[in-house]
Parts: sequence; C-alpha cells; structure tokens
Amino acid sequence: MSEATQDTKKLLRVERLPAINSQLGKIIKNYLMKSKFMSSLPWKKTAWVTAGFPVELCYLFDIFPMHPENAACVAGTAKVSLKLIEYAESLGFSRDLCSYFKTNIGAVGKKVGIAQGAIGKPKFLASTNTICDTHVKWFQTQAREFKVPYFCFDIPVAVAGTDDARMEEYIDYVVDQFNEFIEFAGKITGKKFDENKFNTILQKSAKLSDLWQEIYEYRKLLPTPVSFQDTMAAIFPLVILPGLDIGISFYEALLKDIKERVAKNTGSLTKEQEKYRVLFEGIPMWYKIKFFHELANYGAIITYEPYTFSFGPKKKIGLPIDKQLRELARLIIDTPYNYAVEKRIKYFEKVIDDYKLDGIILHSNLSCRPSCTGMVDLKNAIQKDKGIPVWLMDCDMDDPRAYADEPMKNRMESFIELMASNKK
Amino acid sequence: MDKLAYFDSSHDFPEEIAMAAGFTPYKILGDVKTPNDPADQYLQNFICPAARSFMTDALAHSGEWAGIVLAHGCDTTHRFYDIWKLHVKTPFLHFLNVPMNYERKSAAKFFKTEMKLLITRLEAKFGVKITDAKLKDAIKTSNEIKGKLQKLAAMRGEKDITNREYLELCVKSVQLPKADLLALLDKKLKEWAARPAFPDGKKKILLTGSDVTYPEWMDTLEEANLRVVRDDLSIGERCFATLIPDKADPLDAIIEYKAAMPRPATKNPPDPRLDFLLKELKDSDITTVVSQNLKFCEPYAFDSVYTMKALKAKGYKAIHLEREFSPTIDRQAVNRLEAFMEIGEKA
Repeated sequence: MSEATQDTKKLLRVERLPAINSQLGKIIKNYLMKSKFMSSLPWKKTAWVTAGFPVELCYLFDIFPMHPENAACVAGTAKVSLKLIEYAESLGFSRDLCSYFKTNIGAVGKKVGIAQGAIGKPKFLASTNTICDTHVKWFQTQAREFKVPYFCFDIPVAVAGTDDARMEEYIDYVVDQFNEFIEFAGKITGKKFDENKFNTILQKSAKLSDLWQEIYEYRKLLPTPVSFQDTMAAIFPLVILPGLDIGISFYEALLKDIKERVAKNTGSLTKEQEKYRVLFEGIPMWYKIKFFHELANYGAIITYEPYTFSFGPKKKIGLPIDKQLRELARLIIDTPYNYAVEKRIKYFEKVIDDYKLDGIILHSNLSCRPSCTGMVDLKNAIQKDKGIPVWLMDCDMDDPRAYADEPMKNRMESFIELMASNKK
Repeated sequence: MDKLAYFDSSHDFPEEIAMAAGFTPYKILGDVKTPNDPADQYLQNFICPAARSFMTDALAHSGEWAGIVLAHGCDTTHRFYDIWKLHVKTPFLHFLNVPMNYERKSAAKFFKTEMKLLITRLEAKFGVKITDAKLKDAIKTSNEIKGKLQKLAAMRGEKDITNREYLELCVKSVQLPKADLLALLDKKLKEWAARPAFPDGKKKILLTGSDVTYPEWMDTLEEANLRVVRDDLSIGERCFATLIPDKADPLDAIIEYKAAMPRPATKNPPDPRLDFLLKELKDSDITTVVSQNLKFCEPYAFDSVYTMKALKAKGYKAIHLEREFSPTIDRQAVNRLEAFMEIGEKA
C-alpha cells in the first residue's frame, strides 16, 4: 500500500480561522437579508453585477449591488444547484452552458429562498466582459426577462505581447466607458459623480485589498495559517462589499487570528500534518467542498488560489481623478483571471517559488471554457520548468453531474503519490 | 505568398484593410474532414471544435500565408491568439480588438484606433503603404462583391439552388482572390438564372445560429427537404446584406458598416439580431426558422431560448438544434427536422 493510500485512514481536520465562523456567517446573512429587502423597495436602486465589475461604482451612486454568481455559490453549497440547473435545461438552455448561469435561471424561475440561491429582481444589470462572454450573455438574457436596462463594459483583451502603448489605448477606451456609465447611472439614480465620495470609497476598497494581500503573505509560511477552506468564504467582502467598513473590520479580525496561529507555530493543519502545499486554479466545486477536506486527509493543503487572489489586487489611491480612473481601468483589464498564457506561466512559476508549492490542480471547468483555454500549455510549462506534478482536473463548479466520487478519488491518490514521489 | 489569413468568429475582420495592403484576405475555416488531433495537443475537447479545426488548419498551412490576424469576436478568439503565438509558425501574427457595443461613441473611436494600429503594423512588416485611396478602392470592390452575392442569394427562393452550392459559394467569397471571385460570381449569376424553378417538395426556411463552415451540414438540411433561402450567418448574408457606405474617411465607413450589418450573438445589445431575423421573415414568404448552434458555441446557445420564444410568439414555426462538428449527414437531425415539418403541416 502506498504512502498516499495509508494516509487516507487518518481523518485530518482543517481548522478554519475563528473569525470565519464567528463573523462571516452574520455578514453574509445580513447582506442577503438586506438584498431581499432592498429589491422589494420600489424606490431603491439595485443592480446585478458580476466578478470583474468595479462594484465601487455602485456604492458611489447609492446603488445596492447584488451578485448572482455569489447566489449560485450559495445554491451549490446548499446542494440545490442541480435541480435549478435542470430547471434551466428544461427551458432549453444547453447542458454545455455555464452552471452558474443555469443555477441563476433556476433560482429566479423556481422562486427559491435566499439560502438556496435566490436573488431579487434588480432595477438594472451591469457587467464587464473581462472574465468571459458568459457574463454578457447571462445578463442579456436576464435583462430581457426582467425588462430592465443592462450596461455592458467592453473590456479590451490584453493578449500576449501587448505593449505599454497599446495598454494605454485600452485604458482610454475603458475610461471613456466609465464616463458613459456615470451618465447611465446618473439618469437612473438622479445623482451626479461625487469625486470626494468616490475617493473615500476607493480608499476603503484599497484598504480591503491591502489586508487581503497581507493575509496572502502569511500563506507563505509553513505550515500555512490560511487554507482555501478559509479564503473561498472570506473573499465575500472583496466581491460585494469593497468600499464599506464591514469587510475591513472582518479582515482585521482574520489577521488577528492568523497572527495568533503563527505565534503558536501552527496552521490550518499542524506542521507535522502539512505534507503537500498545493495551488488550486479556478472556481471550486461548491457542491463538493468535501473534496478539499479529502485532500487534507493526505496532508495536502491548498495554500494559493489565483481565483481568490484576483479579487484583491494592490490598488493605487490618492491620484488625481483622471489618473485614478485610469488605474481602475488598468486593474479591470489586467487581472490574473484573464492573463495571457505566457504571463500566466510566469505568474504561476513565481507563486510556486514564493509559496513553496509541491503541486498544482488546474480545474478544467466545463462551465468556464475561457479560463481553461491554455491550461494544457500551462501544465506542460510548469512540469518542465518546475518539475512538480500538475493535475488537469475535469469537473464543474456548480453542476454535480460532472463529479464522480470514485474516479475523483483515484485521480487524487495518483496526484498525491506523484507529489510524494517528487519529494523523496 | 499573397494571402493574409484571418481567424474571425463572425464577420469582424475588415477584409478591406488586407486588400488595400495588396493581400488576398483568406478566412481560416478549417476542414471538418481532418481530425483535430494536431490542435488537441494543446486544447481540451470541450473547447469549440470549429476553432480547434481552424488551429489544425493553421498548424498545417501557416507557411502558405503571409501572416495571420485574429479578430476579437467570442472568448475563443483571444484565448486562441495566445496559444497560436506559442505554436503556429508565422512571420506576422496580430490581434485586432473589435468592440462589442457598436452603438457607443467610445466603441467607434476605439475600433478606429485598433484598425489604424493594424494598418501601421502591416505597413511596417510588409513595406506597403495603405492609403485612403487604396482603402476606398477595396471598399468599392467589396461592395461590388456584396451586390452580386445579394443577387445570387435572392435566387435561392426562386430557383433550384442547393444548400451546398450556396454555402460553397459563400466560402469562396471569403477565401478566393477578389478578381477571381468577381469572375466566378458573374459566371454563377448567369448559371443560376438559367436554373429550373424552386422545386416542389422543398420547404423554404431561414437558417440562423452558429456559423456553418462546412457543406455537409447543409446537406443534412437538404436531406430533410429544407432549402435555406434566407440566413444571417457570417458565411452567408451577414457578409453582404449591407453595403459599406460612402464616407470621406474609409475607416469611418467600415465602422458604420460593421455596426449596421446583421448582428451576431457575440455583440451587445442582442435585440438587433432578432430584429434582423424578424425583418427577413417579414420581407419574405418564409414561415419556418431553423436555428442551430455548434456544440460548445455558447453565444448562440444562450440566445436560442429567447429567440425561439420570440419567433414562435410571432407565429413562425421554429426549431433549435445543437449540432456536432462532423463531416457526415446527421441522420438524427434529419429525423427531427422531418418530424418537425410533418407536425407543422398537420397543425
């Protein structure tokens, strides 16, 4: 029996940071309740937004942002996403379409509760296309259903080799669209762009990102004091609450917990338990969070995720307004989630060194083709340059039909064995 | 090498720039009969099979092309650029960003800047000068081609012209040297005018959805006794339904043309696409629509539900199919289409 298989007999427990348990549940619950309430008020301006959209613009115009992707995660973790997806498919949506989208179609159509992924009808929808076309097609579909406006930011693609001059041209285009959005939001809300308010929101948003970066710095330690079991939930404020105080105080509490762990020389697993440090690329399988606990049973802990890191980039603030908008535009164009393959390889290889990683899991996500295109080159480059195992894992983020326990377990064991053999 | 190849998920690439540079614009369409193994070294099998076929084509034939331009349409176009940059050998590889929202002022400005950059890079690489006069000449030629294709396409409803013949001609219109194409179109105009009348037993349909790049799928429709007499496809009417306007600045003319052409599902807002379909139907005697999306072609799969609902609400018979990328006639699709038509006739 291999070392990897022997370890499955131990049931290791990944300790979540105490603040996750004590504070985050309340933050999310309060937000969801408020979301339900706000969308019921005819005079309150609400908007659906997606990842990649600068949520700060909503707070600037006193628009309450709602996040259908987040609601789809809720449905996944509540293990109800499948029935919602099947409902969407019964309407004619293809099995091949994004499972977040179909979960949302089902949640709206079946009128489920907020604990099952419900989200109120918005006054308008707004997204970018920086992460995927799906955001655009999803919001076009729902805007038609709700008969409300949709504002789409068209974000140019910085393909491999894009030089600085061309990047500036792209930034010009995005800034022009900020001005178009300001006009659009002004018409809906009757409010004007308030530079002081915008700067205050950005300061808080930058503070939130700084704290996130600090949390990530601690993940470089052995053993890591922060696991994916923490970050997959803790990104919530970065996704939907940047620019507000609530996320800042929560992250400060997280950092306090982290420092206490570090002072005790322990982590999410103990020093003895943590055998393999792994990067997980992509969105997790929300309906099967158990997967990550099963990994931990082999002593494998997820210590870095480009997905959660992407939400908290370092933000420059205190710039004159024209430069500030350009900086915001740059961050939307240039996010790890849409890096070109060449840049993605360099980024991953630096992370492998910085975080002392033993293996990589690339979620080849049936629901997210754009992020998967290029993964084969990424896998080959990492294996060649860094000599660590890379698991290209076919699955889906919200559709449990893509996950089969036994085959997954077999592949997991093989991956662990490769890491074990690599460390000898 | 006089071909400048391009990968375009719709009709986003401005062929006139390539023509003004002295090249034959050559749309990469892959080959449904050639296995995708070469591209599949780098791609998962749930990525668009047509795009994988384009890559297989590029891996095999890029040496025959002066260069390649990828124009932004769907997500696949820009993700593939990065992979092609690593694996496809070519002396010139360029990515042309194309706006998604043509209605916005910012989009026109941006697209013009992007086209100017393409012109600058072509001039620098190939030592040519792309003047306004050359662009206007290219636009004139394009419009001449579009005019002839409009006449030929209109014959589909009057004469016995098979689905395959129409698609093969449309493929040639985006691959042949333009002088050869014009001669061919003149020949076809005479030839098709002499054809027998539209055959009894065939049903006129409008075809919409993902671009059809190979004639075998058109044969599938033929087998079900369906004749495509209108469409809004990029290897089809999208390319020639509208002419490029006459403007002082030829790039402004191209921008106006791209904004006015039948809208693909990759653009925002989506309503003009449906508006065009409804106008096509209203202007013709067609009552039946076949919509389809290629497996994993998400933009059209997303749109299909609303489009079907809207067409049916207007009283049209409409069916949506998902098709594989396959060089054989899809018998299951034929059966479904036959049943759909029978039910419609009984109703």
